[in-house]
Amino acid sequence: MSVCVPMAPLKGKDVDQSALRLRLTASLDEARRELIDATERGEGGRAALARHAECIDGIIRELVDAAHVHTQMPVAVCAIGGYGRKSQFLHSDIDLLMVFSAPIGRPEERFVKALLHPLWDLRFEVGHHVREIADFDRLDISNPEYLLALMDLRPLAGDRELTDRLQAVMRSSAAAWRPQILDALASLTDQRHSEFHDTLYQLEPDVKDGPGALRDVWATRMMLRLGGDRRRIVRGPSPDRLSDAEEFLMRIRSGLHADTGRNVNVLSYELQEKAVDRLRYAGPDIRHRVEALMTDYFKDARSVTRALGRVRRAALPPEPTPIQLIGENLMWVVEGITFADTQAALAAPADWLLAFDAAVSRNVPVADDALALMEREQQQRNYAPEVFHSTPEHQRRLLQFMRPRPGLSARLSEMRDCGLLGAIFPELNEIACRVTRDFYHKYTVDEHTLLTVRNAERLLNNPRFAPILREVHAPELLVLALLYHDVGKAREGDHSTVGADMALAMSRRLGLDDEATQIIDFLIRSHLKMSRIAFRRDTEEPEVVRQFASMFSTEEQLKMLVLLTLCDVGAVSPETLTPWKEELLWRLYVDAYNHMTLGYADDIIDRDQALVAALQANRPLDIPEADMARFLEGLPRRYLILFSQDAIYRHVRLARDIKPNEAHFFLEKKAEAWELTVVSLDKPFLFSNICGVLAYYGMDILRGHALTSPAGLALDVFQFADSDGFFERNSEGPNEFDRRLRDVVSGVTDVTTLLRSKEGSVLTRRALVRRTPVVHFDTGHSQRYTVLELVADDAPGLLHRVSRVISDRGIDVDLVLISTEGQKAIDVFHITRGGSKLSEDDEALLKADLERMLKETV
Amino acid sequence: MKLIKAIVRPNMVDNIKEALGKLNIAGMTVTEVRGHGRQKGHTAVYRGREYEVSLLPKMEIEVVVPDGAVDEAIKAIIGAARTGEIGDGRVFVMPVEQGYNIRTGEKDV
Repeated sequence: MSVCVPMAPLKGKDVDQSALRLRLTASLDEARRELIDATERGEGGRAALARHAECIDGIIRELVDAAHVHTQMPVAVCAIGGYGRKSQFLHSDIDLLMVFSAPIGRPEERFVKALLHPLWDLRFEVGHHVREIADFDRLDISNPEYLLALMDLRPLAGDRELTDRLQAVMRSSAAAWRPQILDALASLTDQRHSEFHDTLYQLEPDVKDGPGALRDVWATRMMLRLGGDRRRIVRGPSPDRLSDAEEFLMRIRSGLHADTGRNVNVLSYELQEKAVDRLRYAGPDIRHRVEALMTDYFKDARSVTRALGRVRRAALPPEPTPIQLIGENLMWVVEGITFADTQAALAAPADWLLAFDAAVSRNVPVADDALALMEREQQQRNYAPEVFHSTPEHQRRLLQFMRPRPGLSARLSEMRDCGLLGAIFPELNEIACRVTRDFYHKYTVDEHTLLTVRNAERLLNNPRFAPILREVHAPELLVLALLYHDVGKAREGDHSTVGADMALAMSRRLGLDDEATQIIDFLIRSHLKMSRIAFRRDTEEPEVVRQFASMFSTEEQLKMLVLLTLCDVGAVSPETLTPWKEELLWRLYVDAYNHMTLGYADDIIDRDQALVAALQANRPLDIPEADMARFLEGLPRRYLILFSQDAIYRHVRLARDIKPNEAHFFLEKKAEAWELTVVSLDKPFLFSNICGVLAYYGMDILRGHALTSPAGLALDVFQFADSDGFFERNSEGPNEFDRRLRDVVSGVTDVTTLLRSKEGSVLTRRALVRRTPVVHFDTGHSQRYTVLELVADDAPGLLHRVSRVISDRGIDVDLVLISTEGQKAIDVFHITRGGSKLSEDDEALLKADLERMLKETV
Repeated sequence: MKLIKAIVRPNMVDNIKEALGKLNIAGMTVTEVRGHGRQKGHTAVYRGREYEVSLLPKMEIEVVVPDGAVDEAIKAIIGAARTGEIGDGRVFVMPVEQGYNIRTGEKDV
């Protein structure tokens, strides 16, 4: 080990410059060699860096002494910034402050040059600041980096009296400048983090500037120093933990400088492989060793980030928040949401989620003490997932919590960090800090996953996709699919398939119904398909769109897949989801949507297709093969994927022995909504009359399908909400509904007269939002039908009135797709007159009638 | 040396890469671009509302090849990118005065 011996003072004396340079070069080479040797031993941490800094101190002292030949004015030369902290890496800059006791003249300028030129000759990158002591009378806040660098001032050489004076000024100023320094530090930290997408989970992290890296260790310490009232700090970071993390990061960074010969701080894939050898990571192969290194890195970076967050919240508290009790056992305090009674919280882990829910609602974090309590408790007791959703109410609450809204991903991150997310969804533990090495991904798998949820929140502000997200009936399923879409990466095999299988266990635990389970399964299995088609296939080709659209049973699936794809691609890296790619996804979505809704009826069931064969093969004994075939004849192909086999068999049974003016129907409660299936022989006003009966009882039609076969069979399926509680309030309600529907379909009762009796009540309720209705005809997509698209404010009885206007014009309704988005009704009618598409005149007249009706109604 | 710049359909990049690979032309730059030629875009309708699709997504491929390989490279690009429909794209050829390898500082010959 070399020893940097203080050199003999040469103040003000002429020295042999070339001899001096040789000596200093030798001294510096020796210091660098020592640091490199320590680094190669895996010991390039705090102690080695300090020795390196002290050797450089010696060089600077000697140069300062030599430079005094130019001026005798008292000067203080100090190290600032990282050099001031003695964190002097092999190729780090050295930041110097030179303070003169009086106004600076030519001799002092020569002094500065005499100090800097040899340093440059020694290939130092020098950041220098030259000031007069009078400059420190006022705070220069225009340069926050300089301001912060001054906080680490360390005298190196020069006049002792002036140095003492400078230090006294700095001490008194630090207290006076505290607010400005803290603000500057917070602002620079935010700015720096934003350059890294605000996440520490980078696959190739910057160990100096990245979130959770060395600069954050320093920022934490600085905030602790300047934090003022330490009583505010509920639980400061453990000094040992912070110090250990710093030592680890320093050793890595030293290695980067040694490997590259430059001030490189990004721990790239290539340099990770060198680091594991140097730091002596064991493992069967390089992949395992690198994963072990990176897992340690992420753990340390996470400790640093959490420490910084805690200290920052204490040092820079938000506006004073009066302590508020929220619910039974929650309080809203300065640090965020916490438990009012910790014993009660410990006794009811299933209620921990309420803290995160309250935090999302108020857009504040969960307080550190609450997070620490949950983390400690979960570690000790290792709760099974069922503990957190043992009752239907807890399951409902969890699903409700998963609805995308601002702040959800931040709270999910807190849940991950305290171990709660992994306790509720143990499959996610398998991707914690998981590294996937490819050309595209920038983050660990778990971080990528949470970023997809953040993207889902952000979609709420996307003018194109926000309406689609709002239309989705169960957006919480989208979030669950996002959480699980990559869990399969932890295991062998195709990760989409493996992940879908892993998600199945979660769906069962949460008690999801079959439909919800299938949606999650579909989304995870298909999560790569849309981007592959949009970016790699010629989507101008109708067959490509047709094949893509055939993946979906419902428009709901298409909507969820485009949203999931956007969230997924956008979370790969900040640059991945370009406007170009977003445009391609949008166009594929629109083309597929149009294909599904406008070209719906053209794609007729082929009796040879596999789904028909399966239906015939599994046919119950009471359904003859010929009945099955006759029922399916001429129905759209999508009918087979829209309905389950059981539902199709039920439709066949309902169609059995049907006579004119009869309606066979089936009414059932499905979760929150009701579903009505009606089979009848088609006739004018049939669809309108059924809608009229639903309107009469105050039912809000949410979505549905109506289709007719060439044989004249009409099948209508409506999902509706019993908004007025008719069925709930009347035990005889379903029977009355049954009678009324039969009477209306048979013509015994006129639905218009029926509805007139309700005027002034249900039918005159006004929608809260006024939109200009859209009435649009498409004649291009379908070969056989004119397609009418109608988008208008939803209102009770709207569908009845629209379909009545169509039937009044003698136009046949062959197929209808019904959907709603909040208060917006989106209906698509496939219509003909006399078996042909509408003429332009027919279209114009129908449009005028519809617009008039919509104007009068709303 | 010549710089060949091809504006092609997005789904044709892999074909072109493969075709150029067969000619031992490995280096290329690919950029996402939007524009229109004679294809000029079209009007799309979503839920009854029309919106203009005036700029179409395309990929721009840039390769620098020796003078003697230009014709073959162009032929390969056109062969790999052609569908016969409007919107297949364009190929431009420009002279390159000099080229350097940044890592080694060597001048391309």
